[in-house]
Amino acid sequence: MLGATLGRGAASGLPAPDVPDLKAYRLRPSEEEVTSYVGMVIFLGSWAMMFAALFFAYAVVRVRAPGWPPPDQPPLPILLPGLNTAVIAASSAAVAFAVRAHALGRHRRAARALGLGAGLGALFLALQAVVWAGLWRDGFLPSGGPYPSAFYALTAFHALHVLVGLAALGVLAIRAPSPRGLSRSAVRLWGMFWHFVGAVWGALYVALYLL
Amino acid sequence: MTAPRVGRTAIALAVSLVGSAATLAALAGGAAWAAPLPEPGYGLPRDVSVDGHRIDHLLYFTLGAITVVFAVVAALLVWSLARHNREHPALYSHGNGRSIAVVVGAVAALLVGVDGYLFVHTLGDMRSTFWNFPRAEAAEGAVRIEVNAHQWSWDARYPGADGKFGTPDDVVTLDDVRVPVGVPVVVQLASTDVIHSMYLPNFRVKQDAVPGTVTRLTFRAKVPGEYEIACAQHCGANHYKMRGVLTVLAPQAFREWLAEAGEDARRAYDPEDAEAHWGWEWRTEP
Amino acid sequence: MSTIAQVLAEASQPIHPPPTSFWRRYVFSTDHKVIARQFLWAGLLFLLLGGTLAMLIRWQWAFPYRPVPALGRLLFGSSGGVIGPATYQHLFTTHGLVMIFFAVTPVLIGCFGNFLIPLMIGARDMAFPRLNMYSLWTFLLSQLLVLASFLTDLGSAGAGWTTFPPLSTNVGMPGLGQTLVVAAIFVTGVSSTMGAINYVTTVIRMRAPGMGYLRLPLTVWGLWLTAILNALFVPVLGSAALLLLLDRNFGTQFFIAGASAVRGGGDPILFQHLFWIFGHPEVYILILPAWGILGDVLAIFARKPHHWYKGTVWAMVLVTVLSAMVYGHHMFVTGMSPLLGEGFMLFTLLISAPSMVVVLNWVATLWRGSLRFDTPMLFALATVFVFGVGGLTGLFLADISMDLYLHDTMFVVGHFHFTMAAASFIGAMTGVYFWFPKLFGRSLDERLGRAHFWFTFVGITAVFAGQLVVGWAGQQRRLFDPFQYTFIQGLRGLNQWTSYAAFALFAGQFLFVWNFFKTLFGKAAPAGANPWEATTLEWTETSSPPPFHNFDRIPEVVRGPHELSNPEVRRLTGRDYAGQAEVLPGGGEPGRAAAGV
Ligand code: HEA
Ligand code: HEA
Ligand code: CUA
Ligand SMILES: [Cu+2]
Repeated sequence: MLGATLGRGAASGLPAPDVPDLKAYRLRPSEEEVTSYVGMVIFLGSWAMMFAALFFAYAVVRVRAPGWPPPDQPPLPILLPGLNTAVIAASSAAVAFAVRAHALGRHRRAARALGLGAGLGALFLALQAVVWAGLWRDGFLPSGGPYPSAFYALTAFHALHVLVGLAALGVLAIRAPSPRGLSRSAVRLWGMFWHFVGAVWGALYVALYLL
Repeated sequence: MTAPRVGRTAIALAVSLVGSAATLAALAGGAAWAAPLPEPGYGLPRDVSVDGHRIDHLLYFTLGAITVVFAVVAALLVWSLARHNREHPALYSHGNGRSIAVVVGAVAALLVGVDGYLFVHTLGDMRSTFWNFPRAEAAEGAVRIEVNAHQWSWDARYPGADGKFGTPDDVVTLDDVRVPVGVPVVVQLASTDVIHSMYLPNFRVKQDAVPGTVTRLTFRAKVPGEYEIACAQHCGANHYKMRGVLTVLAPQAFREWLAEAGEDARRAYDPEDAEAHWGWEWRTEP
Repeated sequence: MSTIAQVLAEASQPIHPPPTSFWRRYVFSTDHKVIARQFLWAGLLFLLLGGTLAMLIRWQWAFPYRPVPALGRLLFGSSGGVIGPATYQHLFTTHGLVMIFFAVTPVLIGCFGNFLIPLMIGARDMAFPRLNMYSLWTFLLSQLLVLASFLTDLGSAGAGWTTFPPLSTNVGMPGLGQTLVVAAIFVTGVSSTMGAINYVTTVIRMRAPGMGYLRLPLTVWGLWLTAILNALFVPVLGSAALLLLLDRNFGTQFFIAGASAVRGGGDPILFQHLFWIFGHPEVYILILPAWGILGDVLAIFARKPHHWYKGTVWAMVLVTVLSAMVYGHHMFVTGMSPLLGEGFMLFTLLISAPSMVVVLNWVATLWRGSLRFDTPMLFALATVFVFGVGGLTGLFLADISMDLYLHDTMFVVGHFHFTMAAASFIGAMTGVYFWFPKLFGRSLDERLGRAHFWFTFVGITAVFAGQLVVGWAGQQRRLFDPFQYTFIQGLRGLNQWTSYAAFALFAGQFLFVWNFFKTLFGKAAPAGANPWEATTLEWTETSSPPPFHNFDRIPEVVRGPHELSNPEVRRLTGRDYAGQAEVLPGGGEPGRAAAGV
């Protein structure tokens, strides 16, 4: 919804000066695109504060705990989430590629890349679900104290963001092929959001699983 | 001739009656102060602590300082409201070096003179007294009390004769804390349900009781009598009822009470009664 | 003749035709002016609700255990119209929350932020009009959640506006009401964040040509800094609310500890950190717009440029920067480490300096002006006084040692009513009286306005002074029946008189309600484009109310916001003011004749 709102990237209506470097000219952002870009940066900064607060909460309960992980509770798996980190990284790369392709007017290619990004995102969620299911079966429940509380809260809240991004990428992938299907900044801004979600996962993986 | 004898007995009787009545009255009189008194007037509650005057001093200093500041600024305002009205031609100025210097100077003066004074004194008071627990505990005859706050009352625990907490001779009271005059009292606070705040208006001190941690409070009483323990932190529907009584006794009276209560405690001790064993090892470093 | 800069601006903000359908026009509108009016209505209605709740609080303290007249049977029928202890905690909790998040915020930020930012910087609309609409509707949803919480069988939230756990968890506040209110806080936080993103971007990107940062009206500065604080710290509150909801509904243990925790246990103080990291910036979020409004209104009604504009701007920026570094002063008695406490005390004392600069600049602005005492000016002056009282009482609380005694007493309540319930509230009233003509095209009645002013100024001072005095005498806050305590019994009379003052204050507000509706729906004459002879763009460059596209031509700004009583201007135009975008005859820009004070 945000991208849709911000991304009203109509061309600025300025007469096109005849520049030699056509690529640079095509990539030149319009006034409105810059505005929506600024908006997205502020939004992500603001949302980062929210995750920062969650990490702060995690740090506090962890520092207070006698041991981490508490003796009577299972250590978290490392491998599957590690794989997941790679998955979401790959997905980000695909989206980055799509953004550039779309900006240069290569719509079909952009669509395919977006589809790939979305697919990888879905895979990420699937693997995440597997991790949760496994732990749940081992009786690792949110009510088991701060340790599982923090784990489930952070991962679930992040997964919600993945879900939102996923929906957006899906819609973009469907709309992308038609030349007038999408504004440039719609793709670009959702791309930024997706990278943000990926980055947060990176931090989560290190904080929750590795440290 | 019997009459005088009758008279004498009558007089003796009367005397004895009056005497006993007087002693009763005296006792009653003695009992009269044995209940928290309402505060006279609107000012600060009576300060019955050794260190409360430090806080009162700052309170009055700040009150004086801001009254002066307010009066001066208000006077300027009122003056310009009265004089610089529609008839008065407005001066065209965005502010010049001098006027800006006046503003900055005034602020700097306030910052140093008022804020600075407050900062320095508070720092001193906190370090020397209100948050200086090692010193309080080290003091000769310091009294240690564990208080467990819960909805909606104050359980107090004294170590008893053996000086250890969690032993059969612990003295446990409900909404009734007793301390001797003069010596530092060190309270360790805990809560078993929600956050409460132990507030002693007449001693100018306050400390939250937080579930999951032990917090500390220290004060020294000066005037014997009964005062109120208030709960300052909203802790549910009956927050307003979470009222205890703090009795300040002469050292001798306190010792006697504690010994006596310790005896009763040992006799009444029941190892089965888990409820009664909420005490903890005294924390040297919470 | 329009400059290149203006052509470019026009190009990036073309005029769109206004929507024609009723729904798009008045309900699901993306026009910042319509959204502003919607926020104003939503806010004023909840102001009335919050005020009513305050009256119930005051009734309880004046006549404990006596049935509330009229309303009583309606609200607390089960108890025969008497307020019970459980009900009382819902009263002050919802009063605080409603006033802060759902009444003053929408009026001060939702209404004036939306209405003024584009108009004052010379833009056709917000940067993201649709996001703006979403912000409004999420806000209305949050208000609905609050209203719904009153209907739940265990009553609304009761853990205090600060919602400290464990009391705010199921341990202390079972029942749907508390959950709904915490959810409402989260939702309204989302709304504020959306608004903030919009405001910040708009000021950065949409300023008219020539409108440099140091030419922005102070109102815009206040709103912009507020938006920045919102964008940074409301999400922190959001995560606190989120974790609290998890603790309430999904059995997690972030804030539950001690005997109330099943095992291990979280940290109740963690919530207080998260809450106050947001909470202290929040209080500046509520005062900065009021400061800004005062900066402009005082200058315009003193017919004198604002004194040391740059100084005020930098002071406000400094307050914004420091605001997050003082939050610990709310937690002095939670058992925080002494060193930390001392640091917070230091910063708290420091932050009072820029605030003093702001206040003294107001005084210097009035000094040797040519004051006009129209209603907006009266409210502005009153705001200066009450903020002075509120701010100065903050100095007591800033010190750990005095706070040992004053914390959680009515003194704190008096402090923040003078700053927030007085300064922010009547600062907002200043704005309502000042911009009403621009909002609705008609001016509010001056005589009713004056009457409303005296009721409000005298009433507010009396009520909140009463709070300060009982606080000084040691009375704690949030007491259903303070007179349980013998040391408070002497204050019975004072509490009662404070209540009488509060009732008068409340009654006085209906002069405003009447004035408001009379002007709106009566037959008042059109106000004209610039009734106050003001200098900023919304007055000088467009009509009242402005057309859908705000400005027929995007203005090019040529001077600062307060060019008043400039002799050069008077010589050229015969007026004592020059609009920010006004090109003077002969095109000559009068030199800032910095005539000595
Ligand atoms: C708009 C809101 C607002 C504002 C602006 C302020 C401003 C300040 N506040 Fe306040 N505060 C609150 C709202 C606000 N506060 C709220 C809501 C709470 C309680 C929350 C709760 O617990 O429920 C609170 C609580 C609070 C506490 C915690 C008390 C406690 O719980 O124990 C402290 C402690 O330091 C504090 C300090 C300050 C300080 C130092 C300022 C400084 O910024 C003040 C600086 C201003 C000045 C120094 C005035 C300068 C003026 C002059 C020099 C001239 C004046 C004269 C005339 C005008 C005639 N505040
Ligand atoms: C900006 C916020 C704000 C405002 C404006 C007010 C306004 C008032 N407050 Fe409030 N108050 C708080 C914020 C506010 N308060 C907070 C945060 C708390 C702490 C809660 C807690 O402890 O958790 C509190 C607590 C609080 C207490 C302490 C309760 C306790 O500790 O037990 C008291 C008691 O006197 C009180 C009284 C009042 C009074 C008499 C007013 C009066 O000023 C009210 C006057 C009436 C109005 C302002 C309404 C007028 C209506 C209109 C103008 C609307 C017009 C409508 C149309 C045109 C459609 N308040
Ligand atoms: Cu215990 Cu309030
Ligand atoms: Cu604060």
